[in-house]
Amino acid sequence: MTALRWIVFAIAVLAMNFPVISTLITSFKSEAEIAGNPSWWIEAPTLANYQGIFAIADRFDILHYLWNSFASSILGAGLSLLLAFPAAYAMVRFETGQKWLLPLVANLRAIPLIVFAIPLYLVYARVGLLDTELGLALILCIVNLPLVLVLLAASLRDLPAELDEAARVDGASTFGLLWRIVLPLATPALATTMVLGFVYAWNEFLFALMLTTRNAVTTTVGASFFFAASGGGVRWGTAAAVMVLSVLPPMVLGLLLYRRIGQSLAAGAVKG
Amino acid sequence: MQCALARDGRILVAPLTIFLLAMLGLPLVVDLIYSVSAVEFATILSPEFVGLANYASALSSESFWRAAWFSLRFGLLCATAQVLIGLFLAIFLEPLLARRPWLMAFLMLPMMVAPALVGLMYRLVLHEFVGVVPWFMFTYVGDSPSFLGPDNAFKTLVVVEVLQWTPFALLILYSAYVSIPADVREAAAIDGAGTWRRLVSIDLPLMGPAIGATFFIRFIDSFRVFDNVYTLTGAGAGGSTATMSIWVYEAFFKSGDIGRAVAASMLLLAASWLVLSVVHRLSQRRAGASA
Repeated sequence: MTALRWIVFAIAVLAMNFPVISTLITSFKSEAEIAGNPSWWIEAPTLANYQGIFAIADRFDILHYLWNSFASSILGAGLSLLLAFPAAYAMVRFETGQKWLLPLVANLRAIPLIVFAIPLYLVYARVGLLDTELGLALILCIVNLPLVLVLLAASLRDLPAELDEAARVDGASTFGLLWRIVLPLATPALATTMVLGFVYAWNEFLFALMLTTRNAVTTTVGASFFFAASGGGVRWGTAAAVMVLSVLPPMVLGLLLYRRIGQSLAAGAVKG
Repeated sequence: MQCALARDGRILVAPLTIFLLAMLGLPLVVDLIYSVSAVEFATILSPEFVGLANYASALSSESFWRAAWFSLRFGLLCATAQVLIGLFLAIFLEPLLARRPWLMAFLMLPMMVAPALVGLMYRLVLHEFVGVVPWFMFTYVGDSPSFLGPDNAFKTLVVVEVLQWTPFALLILYSAYVSIPADVREAAAIDGAGTWRRLVSIDLPLMGPAIGATFFIRFIDSFRVFDNVYTLTGAGAGGSTATMSIWVYEAFFKSGDIGRAVAASMLLLAASWLVLSVVHRLSQRRAGASA
């Protein structure tokens, strides 16, 4: 029975990670080998594809795309924490807006993003936020808010209220209390939420596709340009290498922090 | 004192509220105005009121209904498959995962990959000449179907979506399964209930809320899908794989049909609201029944 479980586990891991594994293997084959040998076996491993990415930097600036993804994801995730943390505290301790604001934001998760995408595009075009990292980050913040708010509210609810009361007796104001007592205690929760928000923001595609064209293009959109721009003859090896580099940051975070991410996702799903 | 706390609470909530009003409230107003106006990119600031013509135009469009039907079928099928496979894996693999929690990391990995990139990766994997799947089919089966052709595109997309997001169902259902108290199961075992009996009478009912929540989340995410379908097949031949999100996107960017696209997105919003309120009603009734 245990052997059977291991077999099922292996099949599940291989099937679910199938596209990533195949792409990783392809990225180490030369273009000639890709055309002749599509299997999982690599005859002559090479790093030529990874060097090839930088040879086309004038048309396809991978470092620029990676930087855009990084900057807008950090900014978007950070901003959502900045907005959600005080609000979550007020909701949990003073019940401010717990009846309407929390459900409203939590339910945003269920609304197709495209509903807001068109008007935001039109507004952005007027105020000059199109194709900027800041404009994209503001939207990534919205995308992250539902999960971030639910997770922070849940973790703040688990902190003992006695600490707050003790600090109140000592004469602390709400803001001093939040800064000196609650923030340090909530740091682990904030860190996990930040990582999760970063991964979600990094992987976002629809808004990045609509709102960026050149300067603020992220790596998910950049990789898709790669397919379109090369017309009929896609350079599969280089494309594979680009995709590997694009999935690396969130995957490494996922492998390192799988336990915390898993707990957060489970909590977010049940409470949201 | 109470009054001061309420004031502090409002101050703490204010930034979030203002941000939401600017980023969601304003777009919603724009949505509402343009959905009842005749407007083009050139006349974007002077919309002309046309009543419900845009809604009528969207609702009378055959491709709109085909996209709606596609998304609905896609959402239901994917959510069902993900919950069933996730449930099986969660329960069957529990003895392995309980002893070696790090195994879960490999099952969670697909969730860390951008769906848009997964779509692009399958363009490589399923490619007739350089893809490993057609190669395998040609070598060992003798023939390979055209996975992204009109006949198979829907099935292929379902498999792609299910393989990537079953981990989510597995994760939620696994944590629900392991949080069932051991003494409940032991008591049932002492009463002579076998493995299957315990599964059907104890485990599954206790996991009910988690199963419901997982199905709902997966349905919503698959229903509104954009990224992987867009990068893998686009709208497909003759719009055969256009989801609701892709239909709205193309109406806006490809056809420049702003009023129609916005009217369709308002309909989409209304539909999501309807689903949400039904689910809310259901979960409250269950909470009421168990209390």
